[in-house]
Amino acid sequence: MAAPAGKVARGWSVLALGLRSAVPRLPGLTQVRWSRYSPEYRDPQTDKEYYRKPLAELTEEEKCEQELRKTQLIKAAPAAKTSSVFEDPVISKFINMMMKGGNKVLARSLMTQTLEAVKRKQFEKYHAASAEEQATIERNPYTIFHQALKNCEPVIGLVPILRGGHFYQVPVPLPARRRRFLAMKWMITECREKKHRRTLMPEKLSHELLEAFHNQGPVIKKKHDMHKMAEANRALAHYRWW
Amino acid sequence: MATPCVSCGAAAFYRLFLGGRVSLTRRQGVWKAGAVELQTGTGFQILRLRHTTGVTTKKNVAALRRETYTVDFIKKQIEEFNIGKRHLANMMGEDPETFTQEDIDRAIAYLFPSGLFEKQARPVMKHPEQIFPKQRAIQWGEDGRPFHFLFYTGKQSYYSLMHEAYGKLLEAEKRQNQLQAKGLFSEKTETKDLIGSRWLIKEELEEMLVEKLSDQDYAQFIRLLERLLTLHCGAEEEFVQRFRKSVTIQSKKHLIEPVQYDEQGMAFSTSEGKRKSAKAEAVVYEHGSGRIKVNGIDYLLYFPVTQDREQLMFPFHFLDRLGKHDTTCTVSGGGRSSQAGAIRLAVARALCSFVTEEEVEWMRQAGLLTADPRVRERKKPGQEGARRKFTWKKR
Repeated sequence: MAAPAGKVARGWSVLALGLRSAVPRLPGLTQVRWSRYSPEYRDPQTDKEYYRKPLAELTEEEKCEQELRKTQLIKAAPAAKTSSVFEDPVISKFINMMMKGGNKVLARSLMTQTLEAVKRKQFEKYHAASAEEQATIERNPYTIFHQALKNCEPVIGLVPILRGGHFYQVPVPLPARRRRFLAMKWMITECREKKHRRTLMPEKLSHELLEAFHNQGPVIKKKHDMHKMAEANRALAHYRWW
Repeated sequence: MATPCVSCGAAAFYRLFLGGRVSLTRRQGVWKAGAVELQTGTGFQILRLRHTTGVTTKKNVAALRRETYTVDFIKKQIEEFNIGKRHLANMMGEDPETFTQEDIDRAIAYLFPSGLFEKQARPVMKHPEQIFPKQRAIQWGEDGRPFHFLFYTGKQSYYSLMHEAYGKLLEAEKRQNQLQAKGLFSEKTETKDLIGSRWLIKEELEEMLVEKLSDQDYAQFIRLLERLLTLHCGAEEEFVQRFRKSVTIQSKKHLIEPVQYDEQGMAFSTSEGKRKSAKAEAVVYEHGSGRIKVNGIDYLLYFPVTQDREQLMFPFHFLDRLGKHDTTCTVSGGGRSSQAGAIRLAVARALCSFVTEEEVEWMRQAGLLTADPRVRERKKPGQEGARRKFTWKKR
């Protein structure tokens, strides 16, 4: 049988009802990190334009893929996803990372307030600036947000590798999702910890985002520190085997 | 399967039912009564009491060999099964001639009601072909010489199949060359229904050949068949079709609600949706201005959170029908997010009646028509929550 997803653990066995009954049950072994969906379920595609494309424009691959999708089972769309044009996957991910204790309402409102604050600050600068400078000032909060996070992404990271009883910090190229995660994580940690008790999150976060947009500020500094450490440990690079 | 493997040591079988033979194999050692197992036993046999000995006896090598069923044995089982089927039909007062397998299943479920959770542990009466694993007859004659010329390869069915397939490939190529030489070769590329069917998986092929295969063997075979397919020869079609299995087109499974008409002649469609413990029922009218009423309250007041309202809008926005339908919903149970999800599902299902089949398929691929099966995971004993363990203390 195909190996079940996730590792197995001994101990308590979970009665799986619903869509998961096809999984083999080994006595004494249970599955950890399992999903209510069977492994053959695929992720949904909520983008409207994908479906509205006329047949002539599709490449061979896309046609094959479309035909294949007709035979596949699809999971339900999650509650935070819509086909709306205003939805941004990066913003959704950031909101989820900011969320504490499942309070999505608060996280989302903080995000909207942050974007509003960014926009207000930029508009103030815009109105105060001369004609030539006005062309260079970016006012769209979404582009500022994306650019700031992109500027914060490290290119290379450090991984502790065990050799001869000691852990060495080895420089390692990071996959794209790890980079995006680190950028967001650093941003959020920075804003939570290094602020005055009375300042609110949107204010601090908008300030940090604008600084990162201009390649300044503590988060960019953290990225540079990471790069410097990787450069310093260059000699250990051969410890990496992948 | 819920059946554990054959335990070490001897096992004694008791057959209880309708005067079946009682065969008892006694072994030295302590009898230890095991649990009564309901196994998918032979034909008519329903209950099998399994006794396992203690550790004191030597390992019985003979019993560890896989049980081989002779052809006569299987034939006898089939006869017994047929006779038993007629008896059962008589008992149920049905016609023995037209007693199908579904009738047998229903009769057994009626006569032997079982509360066991594991469906495969319940009493079963099926044709012996489905119960006994397929086994191969003796491959050699009385003089010891094997029947099949590929016997000494070890995997005779597999290699003979490869041999056959390759022979067909060569023939097809030869035919194509001949046609090309004559100039009659036309580049007709009939697109077969490649999406509606799939190759047999390795397990299915193993079952078909009654032989173990390795992954490389299987891959090699599939490559050969695909090469055969590219040649587009009609004669080999049915040979290749033997190794293809059809795959269900998922969209055909959905039931589309019929459109109903109310007193004013306005068309509407009703359907239900569920999410966690919230249940919703939505009535979508064909013509309207995009008003949504939830439990008699306007949706703007019922769902103050933007995310929930976006979820309500999702099916309409996806189909570009935002301001065109009026909706009335009733919802109960769950929390604010699950109520929104339940209404979304109900609305999407109701919209299926007003929309083309292609758009229904699009909605399905966007995840609008699948009921979300995720529920709250229970807390386990010995842990603080569903996943969180208690703080680990060294001492």
